[in-house]
Amino acid sequence: MAKQTPANHPIMGAEPGDIANVTTRLIQIRWGAGILVLVATAVCVHLLGLPLPAHILYLVGVCILVYNAVLVWVARRLYSPKPTLHLRRLQRFVLLQVALDWLSMTVFLHLTGGVSSPAIPIYAIHMLSVTILLPSPSPYIYIALGVGALAAIAVLERMAILPHYTVIPVLPPGLQLDPIYIMAQIAFFTMAATATVHLATLVMTRLREHERQVTALLETTQTVSSTLSLPEVLEHLAISAAKALATSRASIRLLDETGEHLHMAVAHGLSEEYQTKGLVDVSRSPLDQEALSGNVVIVKQTATDQRIQYPKQVIKEGIGSILVAPIIGRGRPLGVLRVYADQPDRFTSGDADFVLAIARQGAVALENALAHETLQHADKERAQFVRTITHELRAPVSGAQSLLRVLLKLRKVKLNPQQRDILARVEARFDFLAALINDLLALAASKTAGFLKTPEPVALQPILGECIDQLAHEISEKRISMAYEAPDTMLTVCASAEGLAQIFSNLIGNAVKYTPPDGELTVHLTQRTGSAVITISDTGIGIPAKDLPHIWEEFFRASNARRSQIVGTGLGLSIVKRLVDSLGGMISVQSVEGKETTFTVSLLVTPLDKATS
Amino acid sequence: MAKILIIDDDPDMVLAIRLCLEDAGYKIIEAGSGNEGLEKVKSENPDLIVLDVMMDTATEGFQVSLTLRSTDPESEYAPYRQIPILMLTAIHTTTPLRFGPDEEYLPVDDFVEKPLDPDLLVQKVKSLLTAGT
Repeated sequence: MAKQTPANHPIMGAEPGDIANVTTRLIQIRWGAGILVLVATAVCVHLLGLPLPAHILYLVGVCILVYNAVLVWVARRLYSPKPTLHLRRLQRFVLLQVALDWLSMTVFLHLTGGVSSPAIPIYAIHMLSVTILLPSPSPYIYIALGVGALAAIAVLERMAILPHYTVIPVLPPGLQLDPIYIMAQIAFFTMAATATVHLATLVMTRLREHERQVTALLETTQTVSSTLSLPEVLEHLAISAAKALATSRASIRLLDETGEHLHMAVAHGLSEEYQTKGLVDVSRSPLDQEALSGNVVIVKQTATDQRIQYPKQVIKEGIGSILVAPIIGRGRPLGVLRVYADQPDRFTSGDADFVLAIARQGAVALENALAHETLQHADKERAQFVRTITHELRAPVSGAQSLLRVLLKLRKVKLNPQQRDILARVEARFDFLAALINDLLALAASKTAGFLKTPEPVALQPILGECIDQLAHEISEKRISMAYEAPDTMLTVCASAEGLAQIFSNLIGNAVKYTPPDGELTVHLTQRTGSAVITISDTGIGIPAKDLPHIWEEFFRASNARRSQIVGTGLGLSIVKRLVDSLGGMISVQSVEGKETTFTVSLLVTPLDKATS
Repeated sequence: MAKILIIDDDPDMVLAIRLCLEDAGYKIIEAGSGNEGLEKVKSENPDLIVLDVMMDTATEGFQVSLTLRSTDPESEYAPYRQIPILMLTAIHTTTPLRFGPDEEYLPVDDFVEKPLDPDLLVQKVKSLLTAGT
């Protein structure tokens, strides 16, 4: 008769949203029904003079309107933030409605003539809403209740326990007592109701299937564009495929570098034991060979199929049939997507086409994710290499610097002026070398993604304050008058604290370095329409106009800076520029040679509500 | 005369610190590794420890400070928990961000940066020793 719901279909019933929508419609229809009962009664009894129990019918109409009002009141109080509780409440609410409607319709049927009531078809229509709202087999139970009610009325009327009301006077009197008439009415009613429910179920099943498939495809497409994380892509893909075919289990196996083995990359709904049953050796698995050559393979009966490599485990896991789809990247197979069902012969060729479509979409995402992972790995290795090299370079230089400094400071060491001068020159060279190593590290860091920590919301004020504190000693030594202004409310940008500190310590450090004693230095932080603007102004040696376009270049130093005795590597500003660019910010400079320089950095402000999420 | 233990695996660095602190009138003991340092803490009971982060083994210096400052009352280093620790670090030169003394994270009393600033070192040693007495 009806197509049975497969046991592992998650929920065949309607979604909470559907239930709510249909309920709203039902309530609207019920207002109409209640009013119609009242109006029809008035017309039939008072205008047409039909022998109907007017007062009881009015009562039925009023009852419908009253309980509908109660239902409206209840519907507003159903919502719960917990999805399972919400669904359970909605389902109970649907049952309540169905029960009330069944009761009022049965009474109405009785009052309008029992088996000979012209209102019988309305019953069948009500079946439709039940089919939409309740999962199979509830609609069939409802048919049984309807048929039962009709039969009960007929029997009770025939036994004269209930009175009979004749609605259509032309019908022969006593028709409702004729057993053949009763049986025919009940039989046709049963058939009509069953056919209605059956057809509606078919339509609903198809609709939900399509809905699932559309959702799965949509999710897959979104995954392709939304993430570059390999585990996420795999997870989405497996879940989408399982959802689309209304099963609860799916897995993705990826080929290893040799292309000889498939290893489990993600499993959804499979037992730990099944996941770790072992590597799939492609040469010994005809199933995967066929799939990897680009075809979808369906195993209809796992119990008898010879192509299965681990038959015992498959049966123990309770898998009846399997669908295997290839995941093909640009010209090369990447792996296989498997969907499992409990019962044998579950998958159709339509399912195969659909999973193939998902696998194709997924292959794109997978390729991107794999490429991204390779790049990230390379970046990480590069970053580690730079770190190691820097440490190896820095340790000996630092040792030599320390020894030289101590030698120049010790009271008991007596150096003649020439010796002292030579040692001071060596020390200066080492200082430069140390600065160069630090700047090269910073430059490498600014060029290597993944070297600095992942950007996160960082407040600017503490970092600026810290950078200024670091230079406090030099500032006071050169008697530079320093002004720092910043708003009390924290300005937050999305960046790595390390990178920001690098930017500001370079810029403020330069300002201190190139400003003669007794000069002025101003650091100013302010917010301007979504941007944090930091200006660093000094009354230093300035930058010649002809050099301004080149200051961001690596190893470039302005001509007046080179002529001065001030040590510099020419890397600081290129580091700053790269870091500001990587944050999506802007940096500009204004300068008058021999007078002043102002650097302006603007960075996008991250709103705090986003910052906390 | 205060006794200072230097724990550092770089002999040049040890020499520089030794010269600098001896010049300021302190008695110096040396240790070339974390374990040797811990042994010397027990045998010599120094008044102050200059501890290098020792990047070669990544965490050796951190481990030494954590061991010395362990809050476990059963710890064999419990009697030495009060000895001030001055940590020698190159971290400030990598990032200008200071990660200052933090009881939770790194139980040391103060930092000096590499390369050594002799005046600053002596000044910090002095103030830590004064604070301890």
